[in-house]
Amino acid sequence: MDTLTVVFLVYTFLAFYLLFLFCLIYVQNKSRMYEIPLVTKQYALSIVVPCYNAEKQIGETIQTLLNSDYKGLKKIIVVDDCSTDNSYKIAKKFEKKHPGLVLVVQTPKNTGRAAGSKNYGARFVKTDLIGFTDDDSRPKPNAIRGMIGFFDDSTVGAVTSRILVLNREKFIARLQAIEYKVIAFTRKLLGFVGAIYVTNGPLSIYRKTAFDKVHGFDIKNLTEDIEITWHMVAEGYKVHMALSSSVYSIVPDNAKAWFRQRIRWNVGGMQTINKYKMAFLKVGMLGSFILPFFVLSWVLGIIGLAVLVYRIGRIFIIRYLSTKLSIETQTAILTLREINLTPSILLFFGVVLFILGFVFTLLALAYSREKEFKNHGIFSILMYTFVYLLVYPVLLIVSLWEFIRGKQSW
Amino acid sequence: MLKSSKHVFWEALLITVVVFFFGLLIGIAYEGSRLDEVNQYYAVSEISLMDAFVLGSNTDLGNVSCSALIDSNIKFADRIYEEARILEQYEAAGKVTDSLKLAHKKYDLMRTFLWANSIRTLEKCGNDFDVIVYAYEYETRDLAKKATQNVWSKILYDLKQERGESIILIPIAVDSNLASLDSLLDGFNITQFPVVIINNKIVLSEVTSVSELENYLDK
Repeated sequence: MDTLTVVFLVYTFLAFYLLFLFCLIYVQNKSRMYEIPLVTKQYALSIVVPCYNAEKQIGETIQTLLNSDYKGLKKIIVVDDCSTDNSYKIAKKFEKKHPGLVLVVQTPKNTGRAAGSKNYGARFVKTDLIGFTDDDSRPKPNAIRGMIGFFDDSTVGAVTSRILVLNREKFIARLQAIEYKVIAFTRKLLGFVGAIYVTNGPLSIYRKTAFDKVHGFDIKNLTEDIEITWHMVAEGYKVHMALSSSVYSIVPDNAKAWFRQRIRWNVGGMQTINKYKMAFLKVGMLGSFILPFFVLSWVLGIIGLAVLVYRIGRIFIIRYLSTKLSIETQTAILTLREINLTPSILLFFGVVLFILGFVFTLLALAYSREKEFKNHGIFSILMYTFVYLLVYPVLLIVSLWEFIRGKQSW
Repeated sequence: MLKSSKHVFWEALLITVVVFFFGLLIGIAYEGSRLDEVNQYYAVSEISLMDAFVLGSNTDLGNVSCSALIDSNIKFADRIYEEARILEQYEAAGKVTDSLKLAHKKYDLMRTFLWANSIRTLEKCGNDFDVIVYAYEYETRDLAKKATQNVWSKILYDLKQERGESIILIPIAVDSNLASLDSLLDGFNITQFPVVIINNKIVLSEVTSVSELENYLDK
């Protein structure tokens, strides 16, 4: 067996393991996917909305929070991070209209990232629970209520929601709409084993005592929402996800913005791994699964890309040299005889893995049907599977480079 | 409150091990079936080889005509040429076991035998046919060499298609570690492969077009 075959088999084994793990968790919990604990206590809740140059969205974001059917929502704190547009003025109008419920504050100087304004806003929170919503996010009216019941368990530190994509005009946004649904489905499954690794920015709620215990968000981290989740898990708190609590968010609709966002996510993830590396195989679910899972996913992606580039690179070089020689000697560049259709065991494994992965994607989408939008077209699903996912490893490589270079800016 | 089951990690591992193990078993069995198929071909070819060899011996006694001997050699060469192609395709798809490598070596030995037999036939029966030996490196990692071998294969195949039954085409992997083959090659002072040896006289190390090869054959 050659080295490449061994690498491929190890890769396949790990990929099968993760896939079977998710399938098993699903089978064992499928009747509980949308289960939410009843709200037995109206916990007082404040929602902090970090805002920067969001004059086009901030009004609607505040309005959707005002439309929430959760009676314990006591405060909506909009933190303007020294916007240069009319965001502050717009938010102030809501404060005037809803005195006592909406509070608009401004950071003394621009903090440069969401974590800074989130922590600033947290200073004004006196309630049992503290939630966060991005300035371009729109929680559904029942979203918050669906998350509250989890806090009856005193060991629960955070509850997160399902993000759905609001802007779907562009194709790249439609692909992200599929991706977000698969992520939400997967995250819910991880929740059943206590392995949720991120509480998203568009809508997550934290127990205030837990939030204070971990000293809020790490402002040095580019993905403060991943870092705080790991911190809470490391402190022994449980993290849950309410699949029925949906929040619509606006995603990047051009390749450049998308690429920058993904680099930031990955670099932030790497910063978090670096910060908690000592927990590897030590600290509860963080060290025994979340951290290895994170690392493994990335290693698999990078190895997969490396093997692919190596194989394609070799084929390309041989093909180039052969073509050159074939032209010189007036021989056919490609003949049917050269095409080898004899299947190998590796192909068999690859096909099975691909089919299972595709079925998993379809299952995730079947669990995330929306009244507001049409179902995803088969073309989009195929593009997501065959093209979009293949870009992930490339992002990882670039992110790794940026991480090594010490990228710190958004 | 929601419960979580940590057993699922071990259950998933068990399922993965079982699926993977059976997958590998299927793979080994599948590759084994190809080996059986190749062995079947080999057994039949071995009979043909012996037949050609005995025919050659009979010629010495004057019982058999040269045309029958040449015909026998060419048919045998064509047969193992096609079988070699099948073997190479199976080998390229064989990932779990190395069993086909042994079959490849056996075929190389058979082709060496054919080459030796062809030399004798050439000596006995003159220039009514041509013997082209294509000596290449089977396990080379050198990409330029792989590309060169790829082109040589196509050129020789085209030549065979054009010249049909007047050519005995014998491709042999020189890295099979066969003493008989090494001794045959020693006589040509070859320093690097691939090379094409025409009628045991001309050695070509540079890739040459079909028409140029035909010129060599017609000399």
